[in-house]
Amino acid sequence: MIAELLFSVFAVLAIIGGLGLVLARHPMNGAICLVMTMISLAGLYSLLSAKLIFVLQLIVYAGAIMSLILFIIMFLNIRKEDLPKEEWRWAYYLGGIVVIAPVGLLMTKAVKALPGSEASIMGNGFGGVKEVGVVLFREWLLPFEIVSILLLVSLVGAVVLAGKRRVEQ
Amino acid sequence: MIADYLILSIILFCIGILGVVSRRNVFTVFMSIELMLNAANLAFIAFSRLHESMDGHVLAMMVMAVAAAEAALALAVVILLHKHKSKLDTNMFSLLKG
Repeated sequence: MIAELLFSVFAVLAIIGGLGLVLARHPMNGAICLVMTMISLAGLYSLLSAKLIFVLQLIVYAGAIMSLILFIIMFLNIRKEDLPKEEWRWAYYLGGIVVIAPVGLLMTKAVKALPGSEASIMGNGFGGVKEVGVVLFREWLLPFEIVSILLLVSLVGAVVLAGKRRVEQ
Repeated sequence: MIADYLILSIILFCIGILGVVSRRNVFTVFMSIELMLNAANLAFIAFSRLHESMDGHVLAMMVMAVAAAEAALALAVVILLHKHKSKLDTNMFSLLKG
């Protein structure tokens, strides 16, 4: 089946991108790896018939947020000698894996106990703009408005934090 | 199978935790948090497909909005810290230690 093949390709690309982010020494390489992960996640969303989220993932995440991060990384002009020295990096990786692996295995076991269902691609009536919009504006109206306030607060906060300080008279 | 998507989401989340725990570069820590948010999004969409309801899609959109707000604020803080100390090491940022 072509859907399973596509899932395997996207899953491997996403995991490679995540590992590249964690292993890369310079944040620029890590950011490019993260962009790869996000684009392959968009492919996975399209396999799950989430059309609107597929488009939003490409536009908002891979387009807007990652370009903002890349812009800031380039803006700060980080050279090799500015990077923190991480001599004990591999020990930290090992310790992290030792702590995280049991939790991951436990959650994998829990997920495998779920009732199985084929992820066949659905046609109209699932995941489009209309279906998501109906649910969003009927049942999730209050969280939607709260998110708009959150965005306003973060906008003002970013301007106050990163803006120029006024010189005291 | 839906369970494969969920397992992939768990793997990505664990990689994100590993990045937060074991790296000291501010940007790498921040992008690992973004990776964790993405893994949560994948789980939301997979569960939404499993139950054939649209609530997971709405939640994924909310997560995206929160991630955008977080990116704007966190990058402003990183610029300020870089101006203040001209370092990117999380161990150097101990202003709140008293």
